[in-house]
Amino acid sequence: MAGYILKRLLSAIPVLFGISVIVFVIMAMIPGDPATAILGSYATPENVEKLNRDLGLDKPMVQRYFIWLGNMVQGDFGRSFSLNRDVLDEVLDRFGATLILAGTSFVLCSILGVAAGVVSAARQYGLADKAITFAVLLGISIPSFFLGMMMILIFAVKLRWFPVSGMWPIYGARDVPALISHLTLPALALAVVATGVIARLSRSAMLEVLRQDFIRTARAKGVPERAVIWRHALRAAMVSIIPVLGVQAGFVLSGAVYIEMVFQWPGVGRMLVDAILQRDILLVQGGVVFVAACYVLFNIAVDVAQSLLDPRIKT
Amino acid sequence: MMDFLRLLARNRLAFAGLIVMGVVVALAILTPILPLAPPDVTNTANRFQPVLSEGAWLGTDHLGRDLLSRLMWGTRLSVAVGFAAALIAATLGAGIGIVAGFYGGRTDNIIMRGIDMLMAFPYILLALAIVAALGPGLMNALIAVAAVNIPFFARNIRGITVGIAHKEFVDAARLSGMKDARIILSEVLPNVIPVIVIAMSTTVGWMILETAGLSFLGLGSQPPQADLGSMLGEARSALITNPHTSVVPGAMILVIVMAINLLGDGVRDALDPRLKSGALSRPMPATKVDRKTIPYQGDNTDDSLLNIRALETQFHVKNRVYRAVGGVDLRVAPGQCLGLIGESGSGKSVTALSVMGLVASPPGVITGGAAYYKGEDLIGAPYKTLRALRGDRISYIFQDPLATLHPLYTIGDQLAEAIRVHHPVSRGEARARAVDLLKSVRIPNAESRANSYPHELSGGMRQRVGIAMALANDPDVIIADEPTTALDVTVQAQILSLLNDLRRERGLAIIFITHDFGVVAQLCDHVAVMYAGRIVEHGPTNDILRAPAHPYTARLMACVPELGQGRRELAAIPGLPPMVDQLPAGCAFAPRCDMASAACKTGDIALGTTQTGRAVRCLTPHTTAPVEVEV
Ligand code: SF4
Repeated sequence: MAGYILKRLLSAIPVLFGISVIVFVIMAMIPGDPATAILGSYATPENVEKLNRDLGLDKPMVQRYFIWLGNMVQGDFGRSFSLNRDVLDEVLDRFGATLILAGTSFVLCSILGVAAGVVSAARQYGLADKAITFAVLLGISIPSFFLGMMMILIFAVKLRWFPVSGMWPIYGARDVPALISHLTLPALALAVVATGVIARLSRSAMLEVLRQDFIRTARAKGVPERAVIWRHALRAAMVSIIPVLGVQAGFVLSGAVYIEMVFQWPGVGRMLVDAILQRDILLVQGGVVFVAACYVLFNIAVDVAQSLLDPRIKT
Repeated sequence: MMDFLRLLARNRLAFAGLIVMGVVVALAILTPILPLAPPDVTNTANRFQPVLSEGAWLGTDHLGRDLLSRLMWGTRLSVAVGFAAALIAATLGAGIGIVAGFYGGRTDNIIMRGIDMLMAFPYILLALAIVAALGPGLMNALIAVAAVNIPFFARNIRGITVGIAHKEFVDAARLSGMKDARIILSEVLPNVIPVIVIAMSTTVGWMILETAGLSFLGLGSQPPQADLGSMLGEARSALITNPHTSVVPGAMILVIVMAINLLGDGVRDALDPRLKSGALSRPMPATKVDRKTIPYQGDNTDDSLLNIRALETQFHVKNRVYRAVGGVDLRVAPGQCLGLIGESGSGKSVTALSVMGLVASPPGVITGGAAYYKGEDLIGAPYKTLRALRGDRISYIFQDPLATLHPLYTIGDQLAEAIRVHHPVSRGEARARAVDLLKSVRIPNAESRANSYPHELSGGMRQRVGIAMALANDPDVIIADEPTTALDVTVQAQILSLLNDLRRERGLAIIFITHDFGVVAQLCDHVAVMYAGRIVEHGPTNDILRAPAHPYTARLMACVPELGQGRRELAAIPGLPPMVDQLPAGCAFAPRCDMASAACKTGDIALGTTQTGRAVRCLTPHTTAPVEVEV
């Protein structure tokens, strides 16, 4: 197992490398002089020159790339001019908040989505199936930012069950109950789309598995139907559901950008949008590379989970 | 194409989506000539007019602009941008995919590596990076959304192209000296277009949502121009005081995306029949039973354990009815072994599975007959009764244990489960009994084997596990469905003798399904021959082996002379068994029978009984009477 994990980690290196190249190439598309773009309207000729020297912007592209990569590997993501702070520090701070939000949502959508898919498949064409299918259609069609706004309107403004926005109360203790009450609405809003997608795919994965011969064997053994569904069929269906979960984690992470805007959540997504509007290119670059790298590592964890579930995968 | 439209129209939800989308697109096209207020003229004195106010049906926004007008113009913009992004992504993605798939080798490798890298990003990061580089703006948002979706198309189309690139007609075109570009245009492209359409129909909704999202973040359309996303973004600050300004554009996005999703599902179902709903229906816990009459059990003095009477099982697929089992009577007593023999498709497995309600349903329906176990009718018995008997009193051994054992549980766990669902024993005890069971079917190193997964065992071992599972609760009846078909001769003989021993030792009743007379000869005291869902001959094994009375039995025996040669699928009988949805009138075997006469093809032929306990369904049976044979 340890060998397998190591192997997967090693295989991530070219992917990480590729990611850095892609980000670098995209950033190289910036029209005009990069130093001016990075410094924005604050640029003075001296500053531009200094930055050019610091970043090696006067050197050829390939050389510049490796300087940039070398700096990042050493933890130097550059300095954000709009915040006057090291990019990595800012990204790490913000990423924690995103992780809480997206992580909660991911757990929610995995559990709810799989459960809904299983129930839907088990009661195919029944009332529960139809209700879930409709809810799923609604869920995958509603823009999460619109849903978030409506949730604020109903549950925060009208019913006053939850705070309107933010991660912590402005006054008062920053404890777990406070976090949960702030987290509930954004986490739910963020989970809805992915729940729908997961439910849909879980349903079809379950239908596929329920036709298999080993399900008939379980029934022939006298296994109660509930256990046939939840123990035999779901376990086998998880083999095709888990990769979907991995993909959906990316969508949750993406959707977090909108939800962070709607709920004023101090996460990395809001940071990126602000940085783009401020044209703080280094901050955008650093944030994108960092989050993408984390996502690659997360997908390795998904692969490992898959190999734990399925003994037929060679580890 | 007409077929496609007809299929689409049959799907009511998709049709509704089509209509909604049609209306939206029509309105979007007509927006410039509709009598609407100018969308960008501000009138701060008139700001935040509520819905249904004078001169502004949907009210006005924070700058006093007419919401209805802005909604229409915004919809026009959002839909146009979404479709444009989808078209760009589809064109470029398909182009890349076709090139990669068509040329293969290094080209393919490099391109797909790049695509994989792009897909390693959470898509919005990529879109944000592109917008960050190009700067905010609707055009740049469009480019970003299109670019992010290219990998998805490229990967899909490549897969299809790889399949096509190796087809004969492409090879032929190559040999005839056609240029690659022409082959791609004339041979490959027409075949991938349906796939492109499916992929587009399922992603357009996404792209509209995504561009609206970027606009919502302030990175897309810039004021005063507004698509639905930026309308929502601008309305956000007034969400609490004037929610209607948010609800109007938000609901519009919802309606559009939902209509597209419905339509997309419909398009996919129509173009890709494999995914059509209904093709994938799950089998119920027990076969559906729909009996008109319940046959009388017969004399109660009968010593049989399992008594199947006039069983009829059908498959209802769409409007067609397949009569898989058309009135079968069978019985077994303790210690007896009954062979049920016939070609594949003769209905022998369905007969066996019907007993415990294990025929997949839908499409299976038991339409008649009964199966009495110790006097209790199992057909139509409540699920609870069936479940309690399944695997406990009556158990099955299936063919192909690689498919019939759960791939993700160890065989020890699967055996222990078989015990624990019927007996309240501890895990440890169930485990110990599982190991004992493995030993009793002569699996070496049973303790360590119990921790193996099915795929780690050989075919013979797996079959023994299947037998051990059937024996787990010391059942009264075992129904074995071709348990030796996939095995080689030695293993087959071992398993047969194992079953034979168990029958002697435990007084098991066995119904043994096979198409191999050699196997029947070794194990069974009685044999029933099935053809086209009915029993055509029935009697003591030795009698039938010596003097088959039905022409079909005689043919079957001629095909399979020796034990262990049974892997041939009886190809030696000329002709094929009839489709059970179009049985000929009269004798079902008539089209293949040498002795068929006109009379054979008219009336129904009864299963005639002779005084020696044999039964034959034939007008002119082979006449060697069994009494004349020395046993
Ligand atoms: S009834 Fe006629 S056709 Fe049928 S098996 Fe007998 S002889 Fe042949």
